[in-house]
Amino acid sequence: MSDRALTDVRVVDISQGIAGPYATKLLADAGAAVIKVEPPAGDYTRRLGPFPGDVPDPERSGLYLHLNTSKRSITLDVSVPSGQVVLKKLLARADVFVTGEKASTLAAWGLGYADLKAQFPELVVAQVSPFGATGPYADYDGNSLTAMAMSTIMYNTGEPDREPLATGGEPGAYIAGVQLWIGILAALENRAARGGGDHVDVSMAEAVAAADEYNAAMYGFQGAIRRRYYSRHIFGYPNDIMECMDGHVVVIPGAGGFPSPLVGDSVSPMALLFENPDLDQTVFFKQMGERMINWREFEALIHPFLSMHSAMEIVMTAQALRLPFAFVPNAADLLSDEHLAERGFFVRQQHPVAGAVTLPGAPFRMSETPLTMSPAPERGSANADVLVGELGYEQGDLTILSDQGVI
Amino acid sequence: MSSNELPLEGIRVVDLAQVFAGPACTRILADLGADVIRFESPNRLDVTRSLIITENDGLDHYYHRASYFVVRNTGKREIVVDLAKEEGREITRKLIATADVVVESFTPRVMAAFGLDYARLKQIKPDIIMCSLSGYGQDGPMRDYAGYGMGLEPASGISSITGYEGGPPMRSGLSFTDPYSGFIGAGAILTALYHRRRTGNGQYIDLSEQEAAIPIMAAAVLDQQMNGRLMPRTGDRSTYAAPQGCYGCAGDDRWAVISCEDDAEFERLARATGHPEWARDARFATVLARHEHHDELDALITVWTSQRDHYDVMHTLQAAGVKAAAVLDGKEVLFDPQFKARGHFDIVDQPLLGKRPVQRHMAAKFTRFEAKTRRPAPLLGQHNEEVLKELGYTDAEIVAFAEAAVIADKPNLPVPPQIVAMALKLPYDRYIEHRILLAIEPDYRQQLGIAD
Repeated sequence: MSDRALTDVRVVDISQGIAGPYATKLLADAGAAVIKVEPPAGDYTRRLGPFPGDVPDPERSGLYLHLNTSKRSITLDVSVPSGQVVLKKLLARADVFVTGEKASTLAAWGLGYADLKAQFPELVVAQVSPFGATGPYADYDGNSLTAMAMSTIMYNTGEPDREPLATGGEPGAYIAGVQLWIGILAALENRAARGGGDHVDVSMAEAVAAADEYNAAMYGFQGAIRRRYYSRHIFGYPNDIMECMDGHVVVIPGAGGFPSPLVGDSVSPMALLFENPDLDQTVFFKQMGERMINWREFEALIHPFLSMHSAMEIVMTAQALRLPFAFVPNAADLLSDEHLAERGFFVRQQHPVAGAVTLPGAPFRMSETPLTMSPAPERGSANADVLVGELGYEQGDLTILSDQGVI
Repeated sequence: MSSNELPLEGIRVVDLAQVFAGPACTRILADLGADVIRFESPNRLDVTRSLIITENDGLDHYYHRASYFVVRNTGKREIVVDLAKEEGREITRKLIATADVVVESFTPRVMAAFGLDYARLKQIKPDIIMCSLSGYGQDGPMRDYAGYGMGLEPASGISSITGYEGGPPMRSGLSFTDPYSGFIGAGAILTALYHRRRTGNGQYIDLSEQEAAIPIMAAAVLDQQMNGRLMPRTGDRSTYAAPQGCYGCAGDDRWAVISCEDDAEFERLARATGHPEWARDARFATVLARHEHHDELDALITVWTSQRDHYDVMHTLQAAGVKAAAVLDGKEVLFDPQFKARGHFDIVDQPLLGKRPVQRHMAAKFTRFEAKTRRPAPLLGQHNEEVLKELGYTDAEIVAFAEAAVIADKPNLPVPPQIVAMALKLPYDRYIEHRILLAIEPDYRQQLGIAD
C-alpha cells in the first residue's frame, strides 16, 4: 500500500450537509483519521437522498455516501452538556475540529473559539457558516443558494428578462467546503512551522465571491455594472451552449478563432469549422461587439451547420482546429464517458448496506500519495471503537448515554 | 494579531500557469506567504492581459492595465522569458532548482516539448512538487483537448442540471469551475507539502478541471445509477426545500432568494410576511403540498417582495429566522456591510491604475495571520532583473539576455498597439442600450473612496 499524505492528522467533525463534510472527505481520502460526529438522528444528508427506488433510508442516501467516504461515524448529541463532555475528550486527542455551526450556537454550547483555545491551544478549529463568524450577518442563516446570491455569480446567470438563476448541484456549498479544506491545511502548515492552533473561519458567501471572475472588477476598474445576458461572457458571443443535431455543444472561439488583427489574412478557424471562408467577411466574424448585440443574426449564420452535425463531429473537428469547444454531458453521459473511464475517474465500491455504488472520484491525482475512498460509515458504527476503545469508557457508560439519547 | 508571519514563508513557487484556474491557485499560495514567480512569454502574453481594460481604454500600455489580470495575480513577481530559446529554458531550470513547487496549465504535450516535464524537473530538484492543471487531465483520449473555463463547467455535467424548468441547459454567467479547480489545486499542493514535510518526498499532481468539478454533480450521478433518472432542470427550486426561489423586489432588476427547509421555517416566513394563514392553508401546510403548489405560493410571496427593497426582504426574513439573501451585482458586493466588515476586498495600489479593490482568493479568515494580497500585480517582466540577479546572473549577462530577446519587458506585437487597443474596447454604450450592462457610473472611484 502506498503512503498516505495526511496519515498523522486526526480530525473531529461535527458538521453536517455538504460544505464541512466535503472538506473532511478531502482530508480523509488523503489519509487523515476523521471521526464524524453525527447527531443521534444522523447527519441530515442521510434524509436528502437520492435513495434507491426513492425509498428513504439513512444508510442509502447517495449524497451521504458521496460526502463521507473514508470516515468513521459516532453518534453524539453535542447540544447537551453530557455530549459536550464526550466531545471535549475527543478534541483533546484531535488536531482539527470542524463545525458548520454559527458562532452564537457554538458559544451557547461552550465551544466558542476562546473556550476551545484555552483548553486546546494546539487545536485547529475550522468553522464554515453562511456569512462567517463575525460581522453584522454572523447570525444569519443560509445555504448554497444564499451564497450564490451574495457572490454576484447568480445575478449574472440566466436570461436577461427572467429571474437570476442558481447554478445546479449546490456549488456554493462545495466551494465553501474547498475553501475550508485549504484553510485547515494552511493552519496545519502554520502549526507545523511555528506551533499553535488557529480559528479558520469561512463564510460561504465570501467563498463563492472569491470565485467571482470579473463582476466586482468591472465596477472597481471601470464603474460598469454587468447584468445577465444568457450566461454569456462580457467578452462576446458565443462562448455559450448552442443546440446541434443531437444535443448541445459549447461554441468557444478562444483567443484565435475569429479573424483577428493579430493573426493576419488566412481563413479563420471558425470559418474553417463552418466550412465557409466568406463568413470571415461578415461583420459578425470581424467584430465581437456585433456578435454580442446582434447574436440572433450571427446564430442564423451558423445554425444550418450546427443543426446538421452531431456534437461529436462538431467538437472533434473544432478541437482539431484548436478551438476549445466542449460537450454538454448529463449524468448518464458522464458515467459512460470513454475519456473518464480510461482515466479511471469514477470509483466503484461495495457499501455494506447500500450495495454497489459508483462515486465521483478524487478531484486531483497525486503520484505518490493517491487519494483512496473507503465506503461511508453506517450511523454510529464506531461508537464502541471510539468511546470504549479510545476514550476509555465502559460498555455500561455507552448504555447509559444511549438511554439518555446522547449517542 | 502581533505579526503577519505566513504559513508558506520560505516556499518558492514557479508559476507557468496562464489565464484563470492556475493563477487563482497560485494567488492563494502567494497570499499564504509563498514567493510566487510568474512566467510569461514575450510572443504570447497571458490572454487575460487583454481582458477588461481599466476605464475600457487600452491605448496606454493595455497589458499593464487589464483588471482581469490584476485581480488574480496580485502578490506575485513576474519574469518574461522566451522558452523557445535554450537560454530561456536554462534560466527556467536554474530557477526551478531553487523552487519547492511548479504549477503549469498547458495542454500535456507542451511541458515535455520544453523539456520541463515532471521526470526532468525531478532531476533538477528531487523533492519538487509539480501540479499540472489542465482541462481534461494528462491522459485519456481527450488529453490534448484545449480547455476553456466556459466549456469545462458544461463538460463536468453541471450545465445539464442548470437552467429554467423546461428550458435548455445553461452555463453560469462566468466560468466558476476555473477558480474552483484553482482552489482545489492550492489544497492539493498544501496536501503534498504536508507529506513532503514528513517524508522529504515531492510528487506530481494531475488536476483535470472537468474531474475536479464532477463531485458537485454527485447527487445527479447517484440518482442516475440508483433510479435511472436524469435530474431535471428546475430553475432556482430544489428538492431539498420548498418554497425556494428568486423573487422580484422593488427597483430595477433587484431580486432576493428565499429558501424554507421545513414547515417551521415556512411558518416563520408566513408570519414575517404578515400572512400567518399560509401555514394553515392545505395547499402549503406540508413540504409535499408546497412543492405541488409552488407556482401559487411564489405568486403570493412575490406580492410581498415586489413592494420591498431586496435588502429589506433579506433583513426582515433573516430577523424572523428564514434563509434569505439579496442577489447582489458587482457594485453591491463592494458596498455590502458584511463583506466590508470582514475585509473581503483589499485595496491595492496598482502601478498606472492607482487604488483598486481586489477580492480575496483565500476566503478563510485566521486569527494568527491574514491571507491577503501583499503587493500589486506585476507589470510585464517587472522582476526580470531582480530574479535573475538572485539566481547569480551578472549585469552584463542580463543585458545580453535582453538584447537577444531571451527576456523582455514588452510584448512582441505583430500590429501597432493602437489597433489592439481598438479591438479591446468594448462597445459599452450599446451594451447599456441592450441591457447587457445595467449602468456605468463615471464617479465610481469617488463612491468607493479610492479616488486619487
